[in-house]
Amino acid sequence: MLKKDLILRNPLKLIGTDEALLQSGAFCAVTARAGVGKTAFLVQIALYNQLRGKNVLHISLTDPVRKVDLWYREVFRRLSEKYRVQPMDHLWEEILPHRFIMTFRVEGFSAPILEERLNNLSEQGIFSPRLIIIDGLPFDKDLGPQLSGLKQFCRENDFQVWFTVRTHRHEDPGPDGVPVPLAPVFDLFDVVLQLQPEGQEIHVNALKGANSDTKELSILLDPSTMLLLDS
Amino acid sequence: MKGDIENIRNIGISAHIDSGKTTLTERILFYTKRIHAIHDVRGKDGVGATMDSMELEKERGITIASAATFCEWNNHEINIIDTPGHVDFTIEVERSLRVLDGAVLVLCSVGGVQSQSITVDQQMKRYRVPRIAFINKCDRSGANPARVIRQLREKLGHNAVAMQIPIGLEGEHQGVVDLVTMKGLTFEGAHGEAVNSGPIPEELLDEAREKREELLDAVSIFSDELTEAILEEKEIEERLIYEAIRKGTLTRELTPVFMGSAYKNKGVQPLLDGVARFLPCPRDVRNEGLDMAHDEAPVELVADPKAPVVALAFKLEEGQYGQLTYIRVYQGSLSKGDTVINVRTGNKVKIGRLVRMHADQMEDIESIQAGFIGALFGVDCASGDTFVAPGLNISMTSMYVPDPVISLAIVPKDNNAQMNIAKALNRFVKEDPTFRSFVDDETGETIIEGMGELHLEVYVERMRREYKAEVKTGAPRVRYRETITQLAEFDYIHKKQTGGAGQFGRVAGWIEPVPGEEFVFENKVTGGAIPTQYIPAVEKGFKECMAKGPKMEYPVTGVKVVLNDGASHSVDSSDMAFKAAAKGAFREVYGRAKPVIHEPIMKVVVETPNEFQGSVMGSLNQRRGLIVGSQDEGVMSVIEAEIPLSEMFGYSTVLRSLTQGKAQFTMEFATYREVPKFIAEELAKKAAETKQHVA
Repeated sequence: MLKKDLILRNPLKLIGTDEALLQSGAFCAVTARAGVGKTAFLVQIALYNQLRGKNVLHISLTDPVRKVDLWYREVFRRLSEKYRVQPMDHLWEEILPHRFIMTFRVEGFSAPILEERLNNLSEQGIFSPRLIIIDGLPFDKDLGPQLSGLKQFCRENDFQVWFTVRTHRHEDPGPDGVPVPLAPVFDLFDVVLQLQPEGQEIHVNALKGANSDTKELSILLDPSTMLLLDS
Repeated sequence: MKGDIENIRNIGISAHIDSGKTTLTERILFYTKRIHAIHDVRGKDGVGATMDSMELEKERGITIASAATFCEWNNHEINIIDTPGHVDFTIEVERSLRVLDGAVLVLCSVGGVQSQSITVDQQMKRYRVPRIAFINKCDRSGANPARVIRQLREKLGHNAVAMQIPIGLEGEHQGVVDLVTMKGLTFEGAHGEAVNSGPIPEELLDEAREKREELLDAVSIFSDELTEAILEEKEIEERLIYEAIRKGTLTRELTPVFMGSAYKNKGVQPLLDGVARFLPCPRDVRNEGLDMAHDEAPVELVADPKAPVVALAFKLEEGQYGQLTYIRVYQGSLSKGDTVINVRTGNKVKIGRLVRMHADQMEDIESIQAGFIGALFGVDCASGDTFVAPGLNISMTSMYVPDPVISLAIVPKDNNAQMNIAKALNRFVKEDPTFRSFVDDETGETIIEGMGELHLEVYVERMRREYKAEVKTGAPRVRYRETITQLAEFDYIHKKQTGGAGQFGRVAGWIEPVPGEEFVFENKVTGGAIPTQYIPAVEKGFKECMAKGPKMEYPVTGVKVVLNDGASHSVDSSDMAFKAAAKGAFREVYGRAKPVIHEPIMKVVVETPNEFQGSVMGSLNQRRGLIVGSQDEGVMSVIEAEIPLSEMFGYSTVLRSLTQGKAQFTMEFATYREVPKFIAEELAKKAAETKQHVA
C-alpha cells in the first residue's frame, strides 16, 4: 500500500476534525480514564498529519523522549502491518522529520516557556509545528489562566492543539456529560472526544464539536492494537 | 580457593569522569591493606593534576586499574573489575559489565547525575546489575548530597534511599551519621583509617530521625518481619533492616546511598561494609550462556563447582611474563592440568598456570571455582572467548560483532614506532573484536577501524602510552556502504575461448533488496540447468562482489541473489567459469537495481544547561541532524538527535566553545541510512579524484 492510500484510509476523517474545519488556535481534547488509549489516539492523529507533510510537536509532561518515540514507532509499525505498507522503513524515515518531541516537568511547563522554545526552533529554521499535542497536563488543577494564555499564543501562530484529559472512575460526569476535570475550561475547547470502553470495544464519542450531533462516532479504538477502526 | 561463594563480591566501580573513581579505588585498596601508601591524583605541586591515572599507576608500580583486583574486607573477598571509563559503544565495555555481579555508582556531590552517568547506568540496567551509590566529594564547595539523591530518583529512576546523612558539608565535612545504627561516624588517623563511632551530634538528631524514618519506610516493603516490627513499635533489630535492604538491592528495586569524601578519607569504610552487606554474591545472580548448537538459545548456568566448566576470558593483559588472560568461571571449576575447549576456535587448551591478581602481586592457585575470577598464563586466545568442558557448546558472548563505522590511517613517526605499532595492533584486535586493522593495498597505509572517533582515539593513545609508538593519524574516514533499492534481473554468459581449455557458464535470476541482512543467496535452479557442483562457486562469485561495490567501491550489503536458471558446457564449465559468470552478472545488473550509498547514523545525546539549549540545537541541526526531541529537566536540558557520523568529527570542541564547557554529549551507533543526493555526488567526485591519484 502506498502512502496516499494510507492517508485515504485514515479513520480520523470520520471524526470531522480535519484542520480545515477548525479555526486557528483550536483546542481539541480526548478524554478517558488511565490506560484506555488517549496517547495512542493522539499519536495516530499525529502520524496522519505527518503523512500529509504537516509538522507535529508532541509535548509530554509524563514520559521521557525515548518513551514517546517508542509510542510512535509502535503505532506506526502496527499501522504498517495492518495496511501492509511497504517498505515501512522508507516511509518512517520520510515522516520522521515532521515530528519533534519536547518533554517538560509539569511544574516547568507554561505558555511563555513553550513560546520561548518554539521561537528558538523556528528562528533557527529547525522546526515549525502546525499541530501541537500536549499529553499529561493535569486538568485537576486550576488551568484556566494557563490555557487562556496558550490559546492566545496558538491563535496568533495558527496552531491546532490536542490535549489528553484524564478522568477518574470515581468522578461522575456533569449533567451535560462533561468530565469533571474539563468542566472549568470546557468553553476554551472546540472539540472534545471521549474514549469509552464498552465490553470488548472502545467507542469514540463526541462531547463537543466534530460530528457531535451524532454523539457516537462510527469509529472504534481496537484495544488489542490501539488502532482506530471504522465501526 | 579458600573462600566461600557467599562471601565473594565481583564488583565494578562506575563513575563519571572526575567524580573521584581513582581516588576511591585507591582508598579501598589502602583500607583493605592491598597498598600501603596513599598518593594524591592531584598533587600539591600540580604535577599530579596533569597526569592521568594510568601513568600514575605505572609510576607507583601497581595496577589499581588492572582488569580485576582482589582485596578482602570483613571476611569478604572482593574482586574490583575495571569498567572502562569511556562510553563509546565497545564490546569491551559490555563485556566487563557482564563479569560484574554488582556495582558501586560513584557520583560527585556537586556535579550530581550527569549525562555520562546516565549512559553507564543504562548499560548496567541492561545487564541487570544491582547497584549501591556513593556520593563523593562532600568536602567540595557546593556539595549537596540530598540533591544528588533526588537526581538519582528523577534522572535515573532509582529508588534511591540515603543510608547516611553527612556530618557537615564542604569545608566542615567531618563524617557521616549511620541511619541504621544511629551512630555518628568520624574518621581519624593520618589517612582516616580509624573509624570512630559515637553519638549523633545534637544538631543533627532531628534530621537523622526523620531520614531514618524515610529509610525504614522505603525498605519495609521488602520484609514482612520488619514491617511488623515497625507497626508494633518494637525495638528494630539492625539485622532486619540490613536483610530488607539487601533484598531490595538484589532485585534492583532499591539503591542504598552512601556518602563521604574519598580524598579526605571519609566514608570509605562504611561503603565497603555496604558492598559486603548488600551487593550480591555470584550465586545470587542468574547467569546465562548461549547454546551455539541451537541458534544461540539462552541456557542457564549453575554456580556448582561440580558441573561441567564454562568460563569467559574477559580481558587480556600484556604482563612481564607474557599474555595474562583474565577469566571468570560461571559454572564448574577450572583446575591446573585440565583440558578445555575454546568455543570460538574449537581448539583444545591445556590449563597451565592459574593465578589470582592482587594489586601489586600475583598468587599461584590450583583451581578457580564457579563465581570466582582468576587469570591464566600462556593461553593463546582472544578477549571474549569462552572455555568449556569437552562436550559442551556454550558461549558466553554472541558471535555477532557489529561492523566498524569509522576508519583512520596511521603512520609511524619513526622506525621504532613501526615495530611497536605491529605489536600493539596485534594485541588490540585480540582484545576487542570491534577494533580492526589492515594495510590498504592501494596506499600502503595502516588503517584502523572501530565504532567511533573516541574509540579509535583511545587506541591511538594506548599505542603511545603503553607501546611508546608515536603515530601520525590521518583524517577519520566514515565507513559508507552501498545497497540496492529495487529488483533487477540478470542473464549473463561468461564465455572465453582463447586456446586451451575454454570457460563457459551462464547464470540467470535476479537481485533484490533485503533490509537487515548482509547477503542472502537462494538457489531456485531446477532440472540441472546448472549442475549442483557449480552452485557454491556461483554463490562465492556473488559474495566476493559484496566486498567492493561497483558504484563507489564501498562494501555492499542488503542484497538477495536468486539464481533460477543457467547453462553449462560439458567440457568448458568449471568452478572458475561460474564464479566469473556470477561476478560478471553482478557488475552488469547492479546499476539497474538502483544502488544507493548508506552512511552510519549516530544517536547523539547532549546534556546542556537550559540557557544554551537553543545554540546546541542549532549546532546539531547544522550537522544534518534530526533532532528527535528535547527534555527539560529543571536547570538542564537533554537533547536527543540522530546525526550522520561524518558530521560529528570535532563536535566536542564545538560544543565546549558553544556552552563554556558546561555541556556534554554521548554518541553511539544507531543505524545506517541513505545519504542525501548532494552528499552522494560529493562522495562520487572524491572517489573519482582518489582513483585518478592512485592511478
